[in-house]
This record gives sequence, C-alpha cells and structure tokens, in this order.
Amino acid sequence: MDDREYILEMTGVDKRFPGVVALDGVDFRVRPGEVHALMGENGAGKSTLMNCLFGIHQMDAGEVFLAGRKVKFLSAKDALMAGVSMIHQELSNVPKRSVQENLWLGQEPWVRYGPFKTLNKKKMRQKTLELMKELEIEINPDLLMEQLSISRQQICEIAKAVSYDARIVVMDEPTSSISEVEAEHLFRIIRGLKEKNVAVIYISHKMDEIFRIADQISVMRDGRMIGTYPAAGVDEEKLINLMVGRDMTHRFPPVESNPGEICLQVEHLTAANPRSFKDISFTLRKGEILGIGGLVGAQRTELVEAIFGLRTVASGTIAVHGKPVNIRSSGDAIAQGIGFITEDRRGSGIFPLLSIVTNTAMPSLGRFRRLFGVLNHRKIFEACRRINEAMRTKAPSLNTLIQNLSGGNQQKVLVARWLLTLPDILIMDEPTRGIDVGAKFEIYTIMADLVREGKSIIMVSSEMNELIAMANQVLVLCEGRHTGTLARGEATQESIMRLAAKFE
Amino acid sequence: MDNSAVSVAAPERTSLRTHLSRHSSLVTFISLALLLTILTHGAALSVDSVQNLVVAEAVRAFAALGVGMIIITRGIDLSIGSVVGLAASVAASFAQTADYSSALYPGHVFPLWLPILAGIATGALFGLLNGALVAYSRLPAFIATLGTMSIAHGCQLIYTHAASVGSLRPDYKVLAQGSWGPVPNLAIFAFIAALAVWMLLRFFRQGTYFYAIGGNEVAAKVSGINVNRQLILVYTYAGILYGIGGCLLAARIGLADALSGQGMELDAIAAVTVGGVSQSGGVGTVSGMMLGVLTLGIINYGMAYMGIDSYFQLLIKGMIILIAVYFDMRKYKRR
Repeated sequence: MDDREYILEMTGVDKRFPGVVALDGVDFRVRPGEVHALMGENGAGKSTLMNCLFGIHQMDAGEVFLAGRKVKFLSAKDALMAGVSMIHQELSNVPKRSVQENLWLGQEPWVRYGPFKTLNKKKMRQKTLELMKELEIEINPDLLMEQLSISRQQICEIAKAVSYDARIVVMDEPTSSISEVEAEHLFRIIRGLKEKNVAVIYISHKMDEIFRIADQISVMRDGRMIGTYPAAGVDEEKLINLMVGRDMTHRFPPVESNPGEICLQVEHLTAANPRSFKDISFTLRKGEILGIGGLVGAQRTELVEAIFGLRTVASGTIAVHGKPVNIRSSGDAIAQGIGFITEDRRGSGIFPLLSIVTNTAMPSLGRFRRLFGVLNHRKIFEACRRINEAMRTKAPSLNTLIQNLSGGNQQKVLVARWLLTLPDILIMDEPTRGIDVGAKFEIYTIMADLVREGKSIIMVSSEMNELIAMANQVLVLCEGRHTGTLARGEATQESIMRLAAKFE
Repeated sequence: MDNSAVSVAAPERTSLRTHLSRHSSLVTFISLALLLTILTHGAALSVDSVQNLVVAEAVRAFAALGVGMIIITRGIDLSIGSVVGLAASVAASFAQTADYSSALYPGHVFPLWLPILAGIATGALFGLLNGALVAYSRLPAFIATLGTMSIAHGCQLIYTHAASVGSLRPDYKVLAQGSWGPVPNLAIFAFIAALAVWMLLRFFRQGTYFYAIGGNEVAAKVSGINVNRQLILVYTYAGILYGIGGCLLAARIGLADALSGQGMELDAIAAVTVGGVSQSGGVGTVSGMMLGVLTLGIINYGMAYMGIDSYFQLLIKGMIILIAVYFDMRKYKRR
C-alpha cells in the first residue's frame, strides 16, 4: 500500500441537527495525488461532511488535519486560502458577468497606485489564457456567463476551482448537468490534477464514472463511514450493497408490457423557436414506455414541454387516442389526460412551503369541489393519503412541508400528484435525477406497475442504463432532430451514443 | 387525523420555543398591548380606546387584506394609497348634500348605493389595470404599480380639481360613523372582509393557487394553473377591497381630499409583513394580516396616547417593524 502522508485527515467527526444525527464519528483520509470517490445514498452524510470541512457547518466533535497540521475553517474563504476548493453541484456563477470575470471573482489581480488599487486587466487576461490552455478549454473569455450552455458553465466552474492552485479539490456531482463530451474533458482535467499531486474528492452517483477515475472509494451510510476501499478491489454490485446496506442484485425491476393501441401520435412537430426541435414524429402505445435519449442540448425537454403545452409549436400535429388535439396550455394537456414530471424538481416541481397534501392535490383541486366551488378538504386528504401510500412516500405526516423531505420522497410526491390527475400518458423528464439508488429502484417499480396497468410513459433520460432497461423503444434526438428510434434489444450504450452524437 | 398512510418517523415535538416562533405575530401583539396597558395604568383597555383604535385601523385593514393576498402571490402593490384616495373622492362626489353649492354635481341627489358602487368600481378598475400590467406586460409589480400609483393620484386631482369633496350626506356618513351597540360599523365591515378573504384562501381552490403561484410560479404553470388569469384576479380583488376602504374612509372623515389615503400602501405593507406574510411569496394568513394591522395600530395609538412626540413616533414605529419582521423571517430560514 501507499505510505505517502495524508493530505487531508478528518477524524471522529460528529454533527447533530435537531432530531437527526447527521454524522457519527466519521473518519475520512485522503492522500495527495489520488482521486477519492465519496459515495453513499442521498442523506448518507456526504454533503454534510464536506460542509463541515468547509466551515459551512460547525462540527460538534472531531478534528481536521491538512497535511498533518490541525486546521479549523470558519468559512469557505478560509478553506480556499488553505488550498481546498470545491465545485458545487449547483452552479454558483454570476450570469451577467464575463467568463473571465467569473473565473477570477474574489481573487482578482490588482495593481496598486499609492492608496488606490485597480484591476490588472492585462494580467487577468494572461492568467485566463494560461489556465484555459492548460485545461484545454476553448471558450471565449469575454462571453457573458449566461451566454454559455449549462455544460460549458460547469466547465468554467471546474476551471475556477482549479485556478486556486488548490491542493485538494472537492467535486460534488460535477457531471450531473454536463454531456458526455464535457465529462470526458473533465476526466482529462482530473488526470492532469493527479499528475500535479492534487487530491480530488469526487462525489457522484454514477458508477461507471467512479470506476473509470477513482483510486480509492469511501462509502458512507446513515451518517457513518462504512469503509474505504481501493477501486480495483470492489465491483459495482458490492459497492451498491455497501451503500444500501442490503443486497441489491437488481437495479431495475422487470418491465412486463404488452403495448396496446396507439394513444399518442405526434407528427412533424416543429418548435416555434427555430433553434429548437424540428420535424419530430413518433407514436406512443398504451402500456409502453417510450424513452427519449440524447445529449445535453438535444432539445428533449423542449419537445416534451411542447407536447404538454408549455412551449409554442410552429407546425405539426398531436393526436390523443386518434383524435387531433390543440394543446395550448398545461391545463389543456391535463384535460387530455397527460401528466408531466419536470426535470427540475426544485425549480418547476415542488411548492416548497406547501404541505405534501397540497403539493399532491394541486392539479386535481377542480375535482374536489362541492356546492359553490367549496373544496372538500376531507376528500382531498383521503385521496392524497391513498396515493402517497401507494407510492410509499416516507414522511412524518401528510401535513409536513415538502421541502423537509429527501429528494427521493419529493419525487414520489410528484409522481403521486400526477397519478391523482388520472392521466393516460405520463411524461417523466429525468425521473431519477439526483435521487439515491434505493429510491431509484422504487421509482422504476412504480413505472413498471403503471405500464402494467395500461398507462403510457414518455421518459426523457440522460442515463443510458435507464433507457435500455426500462424503455420499449428509445427515440434519440441530436440537436433538435430525430436521428433514430431503437427498439428494445437494439438499444445499447453504443447505438444510442452513435445516434445522439450524429451531428457532433 | 390518521396518518398511518405515510410511514411515521419521530413525532414532531413542539417546544414552547416553536410555539412562540410559530405565533410570533400574536406574541408581538399581546406583549405590546400588555406594555401599553401597564404604561397607561389600564386606561388603554377602556371600551372607548378600543373603539377608537378599531375605527382608526379599519380602513387600513381593507388595504392590508388586499395587499396581503397580492404579496402571497409574490407581488407587491404601491398604488394602494392613491387608489383608496381616488375611490374615496369618487364615492364622496356622489354623496354630497344637495344644497351644498361647491358640490361636484350641485343640485343632484343620487341614490345611496351609487357612491358605494362607484367607489368599488373605481378600485376594481385600477386593480384590473394593475393585474393586467403585471400579468401581461411582464413589468415587475413594483414598477407597474408605481406607475398606476401616480396615475390614480393624477385622476383624483383632475376629477376633484384638487379640491376637497366635502359636505357628505348624513345617511352616507353613518355607514362608517355609526355603531351596532358598542361595536363600530367599521369593525363589522372589516371583520366581514377578513372573513371573506379567509374563506377564499382556505376553502376555494383559487386561494391555494395564490399560495402556489407565490411559492413556485413555474411549478404552478406546470400544474395547469392559468397564472396570468389568477394574477389579474388577485389584483382585482385587492382593488375591490381598496375601493370599499375608500368609500368607508370618505364616510368616516366626512370628506375626501388629495391627502386621503396617502401613504397607506406603506402602512398596509408594513402591517402584513409584521403579520408574517413573507415578501418572498407563498406564505401568509388572514389572522396574521389582521394582527399586523392591530399591532401597528396599537403602536400608533399607544404612542399618541402617551404623548410621544410625533417625530419620535415615526422613528420608534420603524424600529418596531424591523425587529418584528427580523424575528418572523427567522422562521423560514433554512437550518
């Protein structure tokens, strides 16, 4: 084994929140020059541990050593000064400023003129070009941040984290919003960091990534550190078992489906926005799952939003159960028996400050009116109770605010919300993004149950495994155009990728 | 209620602290009331003083209910004062005594319902305008209503030739000046309005939609809610409440002039904010709004009663508002 000194040692870390032990005597050690994956289900304590490292949370007990020296960071700025930087899962840039200004935000080079100081633009430009060259990034540094795609913004965040000459870089799900091409780029950057003896702490749910780049894997569960293993010594199945704490031989439930008559027919659908999707045709049958695959920017979300009436369509037709329909708003779509679980749970899914009941009932409230439009709260509660029971939503009570639930449980409430509208067709955009392995399996099981009951599902997904295992047919888009449809059995990582990157 | 549906985790423990913070507007109100009672040796609790307080705050209650609903949808309304003033003038112009020579319509006697209807219609019209601007022009509510604030005030000055509209009929004035036993009419009207808004928010789906729009507008749209229509309606409802407030204001004072209602937007917004209606939308209750109005009322009234210099009154009022809102906001802070 390696006998290099640890660059980072966290020992006996305890952290309690009111009513919850978030971390319980956690030990975590990282050597320089290694990629150390930190894994665990959501709520296992990974983020809390990193927040304790960065001084965002104060530890109740425990110590942190950086290269053998005891340290205590009171803020993220302290950590940065000591050479520990972090890439957050959510973008944290300033959209209206340029790429270059964002890169050096908080560490701008200054020139002094006596008591005054001013920005050293020349030096800033020079450092920007050096950094971009080193990381092989080809982005015009004068573009505004908001002009870049989400993928490229994330690459800029990564560049920024590296720019601090950090000795430790923490990456929290850096690939959750970037395409495969950019992910490859990220892996090259990580390899470069390794050569410079930088330690990378990599948090991700994506198994294939972990096995490609990680040297060491630490697994957390329920606030405890289960253990640290060399990546070469574990396989995917063992890792999942360690994370979940029980045997999980199957990641996907069996999907029995007997597609029936056509329930949705989309023909030559073209978006009003000329840069969006063009000429998309497909059919969805009763009791089947239609997968939609593609890279970031393939306009998959835009397509399903248009079908749901949230975007304007320039031409093309949509027929539900053989009848042409004119869907101009989400209300029209709901009336046609279509439901839509959006990809951005926080942004367009939940009402954080409302209860589980209200969140579940929102689109169906019209059904629960009595005389003069008075709501029947008892019936609403009863219906929400039944449907959330079927979804196995875990919560202290149905009156709990949805913001206090875990991502997986929020997702179950959203599925419950749309099932309560009694849809025939359920559109699910990235149904398992950001939820843990156990909850994913439950969502898949719900989907399998739904198609067995004769409902139809359109699933947009960036996870190839999900498309391959769950979908009866996979529609692949590339830059807004339909590049092919793969039947179950034809769909493989390679065949999807080939169609998804057709115009790249 | 049986919650066995959802697997039950640890039961929610409610400590005294949680209770206090959950009902912080009630705590603020009661402590101020107690303080005032002690400072005035009980005089502030007399029937007379309570009547005075309620009468003084009733019109503000209408404004607060309206803007409270708007803030729940994450909007704001700066036009309140001007709309109340305009509605007061319009109502008053149809309620002047026939023999009053400088009346706007000298020699005319209108039926009693006309001033009331005209005042309410004025408020509703401006509410509709605000709502349409916010929903369709995509102007921020702050700017849109800043514009209509000026427009409404301008309309009032043009309509009244910047003169005071006075000499109102006694049968009109009694609407606001009369009382039912010991209970002032104004208190009854304000209570009915509060009850109506409470029912709207609690028992009709539209109320839930308001909270949904304020909490997450995009999610509301995805859930099939016609957000634009609901926004127009919420501003219109608020306008109707301002209209009623204007009618009653003119009746209570006995006249309407360029100063009627001025500054009421700030009082109303401060009151509902003290009452726990969050400026970031999606949160607020009618009981909170009403407590907020009473709290500000007790501050105003108490300080006047104790003879505190009016300049200091402003200063102290501002500080109390800031403190109350600061503590209230901590409720929604994430752990």
